[in-house]
Amino acid sequence: MTEKRSFPFDRTTGEQLRGLSQPGYYPGFSTLGQQKTWDDATRRTVNERVNQIPAIHFFEPREAELLAAIIDRVMPQDDRSPYRTIPILEIIDERLYKNALNGFRYEDMPADQEAYRLGLKAIEEMAQQRFGGSFPALEVHRQELILKSLHDGRPDPKHPAWEKLPVHRFWALLMEDCVTAYYSHPWAWDEIGFGGPAYPRGYMRLENGLPEPWETDETRYEWNAPVDSVSELEEQGTPPEHSSLGGHGGSH
Amino acid sequence: MKLPFNGESRTHRLGPMQTLPIPMRKFAEGETVDYCVIGVGAAGGVLLQRLARAGFQVVGFEAGPFWDTEKDWVSDEKGSHELYWNDLRITGGTHPLALGANNSGKGVGGGSVHWAAFAPRFHPSDFRIYSEDGVGADWPMSYWDLKPYYELLEREIPVAGPAWFPWGDPHGHPYGPHPLGGVGDVLVRGCTRLGIRTVAGGPVAILSASHGDRPHCIYRGFCLQGCKVGAKASTLITHVPDAITHGAEIRAHSMVARINLRDDGRVDGVLYYDREGKEHFQRARAIVVAGYAIETPRLLLNSACPGHKHGLANSSGTLGKYLMAQAGNVVAGRFSELIRLYKAPPAHALSEDFYETDRRRDFARGFAIQTVGPLPVAFAKQMVAAMGAWGWGMRRVMMDYNHWATLGVLGEILPWEDNRVELAEEKDQYGLPVAKVTFNLHDNDKKLIEFGKSKVMDVMWAAGAEEVVQESRFAHLVGAARMGSDPSASVVDKFGRTHDIPNLFICDGSILPTQGSANPGLTIQALAARTADYLIQQGDTIFFSNRRERNEPGIHYDLSPPYTRFKGNPRIA
Repeated sequence: MTEKRSFPFDRTTGEQLRGLSQPGYYPGFSTLGQQKTWDDATRRTVNERVNQIPAIHFFEPREAELLAAIIDRVMPQDDRSPYRTIPILEIIDERLYKNALNGFRYEDMPADQEAYRLGLKAIEEMAQQRFGGSFPALEVHRQELILKSLHDGRPDPKHPAWEKLPVHRFWALLMEDCVTAYYSHPWAWDEIGFGGPAYPRGYMRLENGLPEPWETDETRYEWNAPVDSVSELEEQGTPPEHSSLGGHGGSH
Repeated sequence: MKLPFNGESRTHRLGPMQTLPIPMRKFAEGETVDYCVIGVGAAGGVLLQRLARAGFQVVGFEAGPFWDTEKDWVSDEKGSHELYWNDLRITGGTHPLALGANNSGKGVGGGSVHWAAFAPRFHPSDFRIYSEDGVGADWPMSYWDLKPYYELLEREIPVAGPAWFPWGDPHGHPYGPHPLGGVGDVLVRGCTRLGIRTVAGGPVAILSASHGDRPHCIYRGFCLQGCKVGAKASTLITHVPDAITHGAEIRAHSMVARINLRDDGRVDGVLYYDREGKEHFQRARAIVVAGYAIETPRLLLNSACPGHKHGLANSSGTLGKYLMAQAGNVVAGRFSELIRLYKAPPAHALSEDFYETDRRRDFARGFAIQTVGPLPVAFAKQMVAAMGAWGWGMRRVMMDYNHWATLGVLGEILPWEDNRVELAEEKDQYGLPVAKVTFNLHDNDKKLIEFGKSKVMDVMWAAGAEEVVQESRFAHLVGAARMGSDPSASVVDKFGRTHDIPNLFICDGSILPTQGSANPGLTIQALAARTADYLIQQGDTIFFSNRRERNEPGIHYDLSPPYTRFKGNPRIA
């Protein structure tokens, strides 16, 4: 994680949320704590994810530093303690290095590897042009403003890369990779109260949102994004519809 | 510490109780077999099982692995990536389809390994939408031709569901309905408040009670990640073991590159690559392509040869055309109370009240409303699309994951000639041109989607949601090698036999002329059983004669896998 950080806060107490080992509304809930009830193959897969963080092979050091700064804004973890930060950059790098595809490429998109290289270069040059500094060195708010312009599909400042690389597809690619890395990690499952792997034990309390005996009930508080963040959800009623992401397992 | 279900066992497991029959027959290199079946998925598995039982020498070619469910499958979204066809394909058009995880399987069982297992039948009207509504195409058969096969497959896979399914041709189900999860409650509550009829607890091809060597469902919610429990039907566990017991060979990690055509206009074998990339040729008296809506046309296009320069069985020019996907908009609603949508099978309640054409609406045909149950990664991606969530907004919406319920529109998109599979410039790891898929929505489709989407959003509001958002997407694939009685406008006849080549058949979802708004899995399997009956009734004639029998073959009731024959009869005949 880079040095640039901003912190969400609890609106009731006004306290900043930082250095947390487990954000979210399910204090004490641990999916990994249930692993003795999982099957061997699942236990191996999930533990490898937690314990074996791949080295960077694909990105050049400067690209890696830049992408790390971007990831810190599009999938921020500033509230998490450094010991409980979920690896994202390394997972994206590994996918690109191994050329692990999701089964297709849009006809108007270059290969994923090239898309990342083009997109990173464009973001850095946009930072230089708009704020006169390198993206990783910008204040959090300024980083967010540049990324928000990509999210909105209106790159500010304009950059020729987005004429070759459709900005909404690049955004979808980046978000898909980031949320896949983050929400496939058991620490994220603990944060959102997802029960995690459940074979061979299964679930028995299916209705009314009841927790299993080994799950935790929700303890809510007034979570608020950092004060100056522009990545908070849009006001209800005006969600811009974004293009559907590619690789998610079919819902039907 | 002794842990349950030790995956180190040397036995090849198909679920916790079933093992792969050994030894499996292996045909010698150079031996000529009766049938090569290309693709061991939903259709290929059923077809192989029946041909083997009837005494034919059959080899099933599967590009992916032969899964050992205990070793290879995990209760984990990301760890299930290998279940999908992840090789490169190019997608385009005005509404490009997401491929891969969304709709394409690789490995024995194919897409039936990761389907959600909703198993509704098509309605009688689906077979004649051109006659009734002037859109799409009629099938060269009626619902009543297929009905006995629906009943047969509902017992074989088998299907759990309500005693009375009120839509289409009303029927019951051999296994009882499943208990409802939080999302099913939302669907039933919302629909009921709006006067929309629902069924709950099915129809799904998931066991609500144990069945032979398959345990019942444990409601863990990982249906789309491959059912380690063995409760959800896939041909890997329902038909392939029986096929092997009766002498079929399954050749996994074998990618068929082309089909060879002889000078006399009959096919005589397939060229394929093994796991090491080594080339082989398997001779066969007849060939059945069962590679699904993208790989089937791709293989036939890649098999072009003198006299068939636009692909095998493509004298009509329709090969690769009339590809269909269903509208699969996901409507998500946030509730003040907890839902925990990850529990229970994603597929467990639905309504088909809007299935048929309604003259009061400004479009033909209709849609179904179904439960869906995205796990965290899939849900986060849906929130990127539906809410534009990113950054802290993504963290916030996901912290509320347990407060959301998700319903799906399953809408009928009509068959259009410009929705198609072609060959791209790019090559795969074998040097074969990959598929290029083009998909465009037409006026009727757009109106249908708009209506369906807002109807399902109404249901979500009526159920008590405090916030409702939706993501436009597509589900399933069928068509691209459609059946028909006119050889100048279709690729195969009503039994799956190509119009052009007497000993070349297609048996998979690609032959569907239309798709209704029912999930296609059960129909694909019922059609496979019907094609099998035809091949069995024709016997050696297929191998030595170009004569084309057009009479119905008569249904075989003695070819079902063990424990399923006449067991669990539907409560309503």
